[in-house]
Amino acid sequence: MASFLRRRVVSSAIPLVFVVLGVFCLARLTGNPVDLYLPLSATSQQRAEFSAAHGFDDSLPVQLWDYLGNAARLDFGVSLRTGEPADAMVLEAFPITLQLAGMTMLLAVTGALLVGSLAAYRPQSAVDRLAGLLSMTAASIPDFWFAIMGVLVFGVALDWLPTSGTLGGPEVWVLPLATLLIRPFGVLVQVVRGSMVGALSAPYVKVARSKGAGALRVVFGHALRNAVTPVLTVAGDLAVGLVNGAVVVETIFGWPGIGKLMIDSILQRDFAVLQAAVLLTAVTIFALNILVDVCHALIDPRVRQAVPA
Amino acid sequence: MRSDRARTVLTLVVSGTMLLTSACAVANSDAAGDAGSAGGGTLRVVLTQEPPTLEPCESSLTATGVVVRSNVTEPLVERDPASGRLEPLLATGWRQTEPTTWTFGIRSGVTFQNGRPFTARDAAFSIERAVNSDLACNVDGYVFGDEKLDVRAVGATRLTVTTRTADPILPLRLSFVEIVPRTTDTTAKVRIPVGTGPYAVGKWETGVSISLARNDRYWGKPPTYPRARYVWRGDASVRAAMIDKGEADIATALDPVDAAKDTTVAYPNNETTALRLDGREAPLDDIRVRKAIGMAVDRMGIVDALLGGLARPAAQLVPPGVVGHNDGLATTPYQVAAARKLVQRAAADGVPVHRRITLVARNGQFAGIAEVAEALQYQMARIGLNVRIRMADTATHLQYQLRPLPHGVGPIALLIMHGNQAGDAAFTTSQYLLSDGPQSTFGTPRLDRRIAAANALSGKARQKAFAEVLAYQNEKVAQYAYLAHMRGLLGLSPSVRYRPDSATGDEMRLAEVRPVAAGNR
Amino acid sequence: MPAPDGRIPSGAATSSRSRPPRWWLLLGRDRTAAAAATVLALVFLVALSGRLFLGDRAVRQDLRASLRPPSLDHGFSGLLGTDVLGRSVLARLVDAAGTTLSIAVPAVLCSLLIGSALGLWAGYHGGVRESVAMRVADVILSFPSLLIAVVVLYVFAPGAMNIVLILAVARIPVYLRTARAEAAELRSRLFVDAARTFGTPASAIIVRHLLPIALPTLLTVATLDFCFVMLTESSLSFLGIGIQPPEVSWGLMVAQGRQYLRTAWWIAVLPGLAIMLTTVSATVLAAWVRLATDPGQRWRLTLPRKRRGARAAVPPEMIA
Repeated sequence: MASFLRRRVVSSAIPLVFVVLGVFCLARLTGNPVDLYLPLSATSQQRAEFSAAHGFDDSLPVQLWDYLGNAARLDFGVSLRTGEPADAMVLEAFPITLQLAGMTMLLAVTGALLVGSLAAYRPQSAVDRLAGLLSMTAASIPDFWFAIMGVLVFGVALDWLPTSGTLGGPEVWVLPLATLLIRPFGVLVQVVRGSMVGALSAPYVKVARSKGAGALRVVFGHALRNAVTPVLTVAGDLAVGLVNGAVVVETIFGWPGIGKLMIDSILQRDFAVLQAAVLLTAVTIFALNILVDVCHALIDPRVRQAVPA
Repeated sequence: MRSDRARTVLTLVVSGTMLLTSACAVANSDAAGDAGSAGGGTLRVVLTQEPPTLEPCESSLTATGVVVRSNVTEPLVERDPASGRLEPLLATGWRQTEPTTWTFGIRSGVTFQNGRPFTARDAAFSIERAVNSDLACNVDGYVFGDEKLDVRAVGATRLTVTTRTADPILPLRLSFVEIVPRTTDTTAKVRIPVGTGPYAVGKWETGVSISLARNDRYWGKPPTYPRARYVWRGDASVRAAMIDKGEADIATALDPVDAAKDTTVAYPNNETTALRLDGREAPLDDIRVRKAIGMAVDRMGIVDALLGGLARPAAQLVPPGVVGHNDGLATTPYQVAAARKLVQRAAADGVPVHRRITLVARNGQFAGIAEVAEALQYQMARIGLNVRIRMADTATHLQYQLRPLPHGVGPIALLIMHGNQAGDAAFTTSQYLLSDGPQSTFGTPRLDRRIAAANALSGKARQKAFAEVLAYQNEKVAQYAYLAHMRGLLGLSPSVRYRPDSATGDEMRLAEVRPVAAGNR
Repeated sequence: MPAPDGRIPSGAATSSRSRPPRWWLLLGRDRTAAAAATVLALVFLVALSGRLFLGDRAVRQDLRASLRPPSLDHGFSGLLGTDVLGRSVLARLVDAAGTTLSIAVPAVLCSLLIGSALGLWAGYHGGVRESVAMRVADVILSFPSLLIAVVVLYVFAPGAMNIVLILAVARIPVYLRTARAEAAELRSRLFVDAARTFGTPASAIIVRHLLPIALPTLLTVATLDFCFVMLTESSLSFLGIGIQPPEVSWGLMVAQGRQYLRTAWWIAVLPGLAIMLTTVSATVLAAWVRLATDPGQRWRLTLPRKRRGARAAVPPEMIA
């Protein structure tokens, strides 16, 4: 396991470099942000000074070399917009998104495992159909629509919850989590049900039942473990999607997370912050994938044997 | 054994959950006492976005100015938005002592929020820092152009400012320079300002809120609310919901949909929308085509249907109340048939009217802009032109808006929104009407001469000269097809009383907000 | 009439009259799936040919007919009300159907084909190839799709084609990893070993043995992804970096209509319903297709509907 981990970490380093390079070049394709940050009547001399000060007038490879050199010294540049160091801004925003994403995935996975297993145990029953209908509906609602309706209904009309913001007790979490949850929950219920139906018709399940095993033990002891592989993969992908930016939720509810920071820095051509944010999220995504692989290996011994070199 | 593995995984999951939930508790330990409850003396304002900085020399940026101007810092001179007159603030009076020099009397007995006394030297320092230094302050470009000022403090209570050429509106320009202590950093912009205003910055929790506290050393009348707190929400429906629910007292920039509620107030906000037509490219280089576009725009229809009735059709780039506004200009009548005939006549003369015009608009510039762009495209297509829309983000839009203008993009009709905060048409004409104006695509030498002449005048002559400049523009140059003078929509909770004016969008003076006394409304 | 062992009689045993294909019969038995298939067919029909009947009704503006509620007073066009520019919502829905599906379907198909092919290939071979494929997936996953969307939209020409590209590329990793996981699990199975021993080339093993087993899961993922793509397109429009006017899609209609949720609900709710109906139908149909293509599960579809629910998850021939 240790060597497996080591190899995975090492082999993740090269893609990381690719991501950083790609973002670097792509961002600069959008041009020089001079117009956004200098006053209207800036003379061409002032523009030249601005470009020189930030290195925008150098060729792309030179800029890249400078950036990599600075990054090696852990200097990720300064935000053009606020003047603050980019890494500080990113590190402040990241935990918020991480908390949101973590809680969402936890609730979604747990709920989906329960509901999906229940539905798969008795296919075509009322529970199954209801679960199917609800999960499909949940997976098809536009998130910002749900969020705004939630604010209007639960925040204003019913006055049960605060409309937005991060200050307050657990009630500020309800609407943002619900908005983030519905799609992963809907998707996961489908996937769990799909693979559980397959797993429950496998021979060893019949053997277990004929040996007199109770329903719960059949489902959770035997079938679940073998059905969980695609579920894990899909859950991992959903988690990654959440980390990459719960942008809509952060925008509507005013949570200063990294999704909002990233889109703001894209729209305002704040390259340093964008690069730092992408670096951090890329590292997290790679770590998440390694975690998913480790779980795969733990759960399914056949995968462990065939572990890639 | 297999069950051991399962147990390990389960343990990991459970401990992970506990870790996350404890992290939640930690993150929310900052449950400030007045987090959304009314009363307690905190005025709660919700903005559209977090200010990028509170640096006073950037206060001509709306997002910064709305927090800083006249709340944390103050200028020498303040413009009254209703009357247009200049009122003394940190200066007690001013006189044009020589053709190119103005002398200001400086108020005594004023202290900065850090305890230091305010003198003419601080005023001189602030102007130098904003205009003459290398900081590239936004105020510099917006208000002063390329000018270099010669600023001198004479004693503690007198200040002289000398310009190269005579500038009759120098005091108006100086109303944009916020005064800071002379110990402020000159090599870099500051994030949190110190000034002389009625409120001092208490805490800036990045991404969450900015808190202000009443300045006990304030030289003037103390404001009613002891504390103020700014938060921000990007979505207008959420801002409106916060007012409805009582989580905020003032909400900025609501959508016109909410205009009918009695918790909202509409006010003219100095912004004017128009289409800037690139007169260097055919077919827009033919004045008949440009005027036809002006006749094809259904202003009333757009105002009623798309802007919620919250605007007034415009005939010029400056709204009423600004020096130079021409009351005699009537909006171009909506005449589709006549416009079509004009275009046909131009086509008969060989103008390539079927060349594709690109209508560029900035996403989110005002509520409903995408629909306005679509309406404009439809109306221009109806008179025989070939128009396609290009929606752009701010950075891309700026490339179309500012010189150097992009090459090889064909004829551009740019949907612009111009805000004249200063109250004088000089700021508009120098940007948008001059042949080489930073935001103008073309002009004529005669128009340039008229503008230069108007710039040198003052008082009634100035008003008349600029009004004529604007009329001349419409008649002979026709670079713009005007849309409307916009109005902003402010949300006010029933517990506060505040009358917004045309400056509210750029400068919201908290001292003018009063709580509604219990029992009367 | 199904035979006692559940199989449908083969063609030779039936009458000489031409009969509908087998899957038609299977579909007919399941009312929900049939309904879903009808809805989906209708949507596709509207998307493909609806524009021919529209004329200019989808773009004709009338600022004085702004925000009319659904009614029968204004003819067929006014059936679902008008939007803020006075355009018929019904006509816009039809127009948008074409755009939405022309974005969602190619995007899903592209990413399904490329991702599954890569994933199966990588999972089967294992080793370096598997590592490289997974790292490629990681790179794509951690690349901020928002940045690509903004660059493609604002720097290059905006258009529906670019959105398809962005969405397709962004979703490849999902199929890649699912397919790889399935292939990795299957490659150590006995029948794969047997095929290898017999000298079957790798590509044949992948296509003939691995693909049919992995297909159900991949199809489930694809239909869920179809839904996701339609919703992502809607979120991109909400953020201002999706489909741009004057093109229209259901997602853009929902995003544009969100400020009128309280006053003119039909502008945002109706396209949202269209999205939901389409995706739910696709999911139901896909579940049915999954059962139909999985030889181990097809027996479920041959049972009379009433009897299906009462059974446990164990096939009848195995009990006692």
